[in-house]
Amino acid sequence: MDSFATVISVLYQFATNGAFLLLSALGLIVILGMMNIINLAHGELMMMGAYTASIAWHRGVPFWLCAILAFVVVGLFGALLERTIIRRFYGRELGALVVTWGISLILSQGALAVFGPFLPAIPIPGGSVAVGQYSFSVYWLTNIGLACLLIIGLWALYNHTTFGLQARAAMQNAAMARALGVDTGRIYTLTFSLGAGLAGFSGALFAPTVSIAPFMGQQFVAPAFITVVVGGATNVITGAVGSSLLLSLVKTPVGFLLGAFVGTVALLLAALVIIRLMPDGVSAVIQRRIDRRNRFA
Amino acid sequence: MPRLLSLLSGPEDVGRSRWFWAAFVAVCIVLFVSPLWQSEFEATNNAYYLLNVPTALGLALLWGYCGILSFGQVAYFGIAGYVYGIVAGNMVGDSAGPIVGSLCGLAVCAIVSAIFGYFVFYGRVQNWIVPILTLVLSLLLETFLGQTAGYQWRVGTVQLGGYNGMTGIPAFQIGSYVITGYSFFYFVLIIVLVIYLALRLLVNSRHGKVMLAIREDAIRTELLGYDIRARQLVVFVIAAILAGVSGLLYVQWGNYITPSQVGLLQASLPVIWVAVGGRESLLAVLLSTCALNWLNYTLSSEGYQYALIIIGALLVVVMLFFPSGIVVTLAREVPKHGWRALLGWGDGAGK
Repeated sequence: MDSFATVISVLYQFATNGAFLLLSALGLIVILGMMNIINLAHGELMMMGAYTASIAWHRGVPFWLCAILAFVVVGLFGALLERTIIRRFYGRELGALVVTWGISLILSQGALAVFGPFLPAIPIPGGSVAVGQYSFSVYWLTNIGLACLLIIGLWALYNHTTFGLQARAAMQNAAMARALGVDTGRIYTLTFSLGAGLAGFSGALFAPTVSIAPFMGQQFVAPAFITVVVGGATNVITGAVGSSLLLSLVKTPVGFLLGAFVGTVALLLAALVIIRLMPDGVSAVIQRRIDRRNRFA
Repeated sequence: MPRLLSLLSGPEDVGRSRWFWAAFVAVCIVLFVSPLWQSEFEATNNAYYLLNVPTALGLALLWGYCGILSFGQVAYFGIAGYVYGIVAGNMVGDSAGPIVGSLCGLAVCAIVSAIFGYFVFYGRVQNWIVPILTLVLSLLLETFLGQTAGYQWRVGTVQLGGYNGMTGIPAFQIGSYVITGYSFFYFVLIIVLVIYLALRLLVNSRHGKVMLAIREDAIRTELLGYDIRARQLVVFVIAAILAGVSGLLYVQWGNYITPSQVGLLQASLPVIWVAVGGRESLLAVLLSTCALNWLNYTLSSEGYQYALIIIGALLVVVMLFFPSGIVVTLAREVPKHGWRALLGWGDGAGK
């Protein structure tokens, strides 16, 4: 029984780290994979999500509704951002990086000026369940489930809807997609909005576990970007899943033995080694394997 | 010597006319005699605006001339500052301490950037990965330095100090002569001028041409027989060392350094200086770095809490409307159309 509980505990740690990385990076990966734009304001969009959740929660809104509200609010803000600024930077990767950084500076400093140095915290919902001598947080178990659901939802969105078909067409060859009557501008707005909304949603989910402050986004920036770098931009979903599982495999034992900070350092070192071996990320490797199998099948 | 001068005036920076060089010399003379009418406090402030220039010039070289963007220049700034503090702080009383400390600081910058650059450039990663990973590097450095409070985090006699920072870092000295006040202003001014002129030589040299070729088309350059990975690595290390120079000057100026010097806010500043001035011109970056440092210092020293919002907004506006930078846009458009046409006063001759 004891060894069974230990196995469960290790699996739980592994899944928690994976879910954390996946949720941190999902919005970023959607935008990068579909639009080839790195959104450096990602951390600040997560901060906006947490702010929305905190403000709503303290007005008596139930937590699950707060998270959905955060998705909607930040998603709308993302659409606005894309319409006014981001769309001028298509095809200029580095320009987009720099301008989104300017936006992140304005958002975090603006939040500091408007809301002050912190907002009231949200208690972690749900209790814990015990297996053997270990106890597990129901909240994180829910998050792990949500991460799986989000991935399945994204997969369905991209593979089984007209929007997904058009989005993949715009990603592969924007000019051809336009020639066939796809409104690529609308696709890009929706994609950016979706990515921003996911960032806001994750921000709301993490809100109970951290202190809600203008610069809270920073702590998610490093893990999110490492996940994206390792995942690559070839295939959004395989990249996100492959990379967060791979990195969780690194982070879980190192973090467990040497502490959370060393765990994050190990992530950076792992990322350096991984890009040396597979420069286009995990997703490119998986995609090549899939392509090869399909060719011989 | 004439070859050197013509190289200096080569095509890869704005400001090549006789008039420009006359103005350049005049400005240098004014800067050199400026301590005559400035208090020591003002001269020290001016030294602060100048000491950030090497970081910015290094980033201009990397981003504007070689096409590699880095958000992590502050990491090297911090590494040099902390290493100097540790080495020189352990050699207090020895007049060679600051020199040894400086050399160690720059050496560590070079080693760290070479290791980092090896993985990135020899892995042939895509363009956007370098800025992301350099940013992650400086964020991790900040986190690491932030948790070094407490007595167990000391090297020799120097404590790292966590978020309180490292204090009491010795000033620079040559022999027994300690460089502070007015002499520190001259020290920084000379270093900045030497670096600027040296980089102008570099970008107009053969190596500089290859650098520009890599920016324009990396694959074509490689097919012409150049090892672009090694060239990129070299430029990356040069930029890191220049950021290290700024870090050294900073700790020698203020005698302290805190982890927030390598944090996200500080990391954004060099990119802003370079983007606002115009990344494809060393001169533009030199000017905008001094101007923006002055602006930031003036706004924040008057307790104006919106300083960083204004600077962030400036960055967004510049990226939207002057993608090649304000100074560079002016330098290119003014000779073509004249001031009047540029400001919309003319008879529309600019159209």
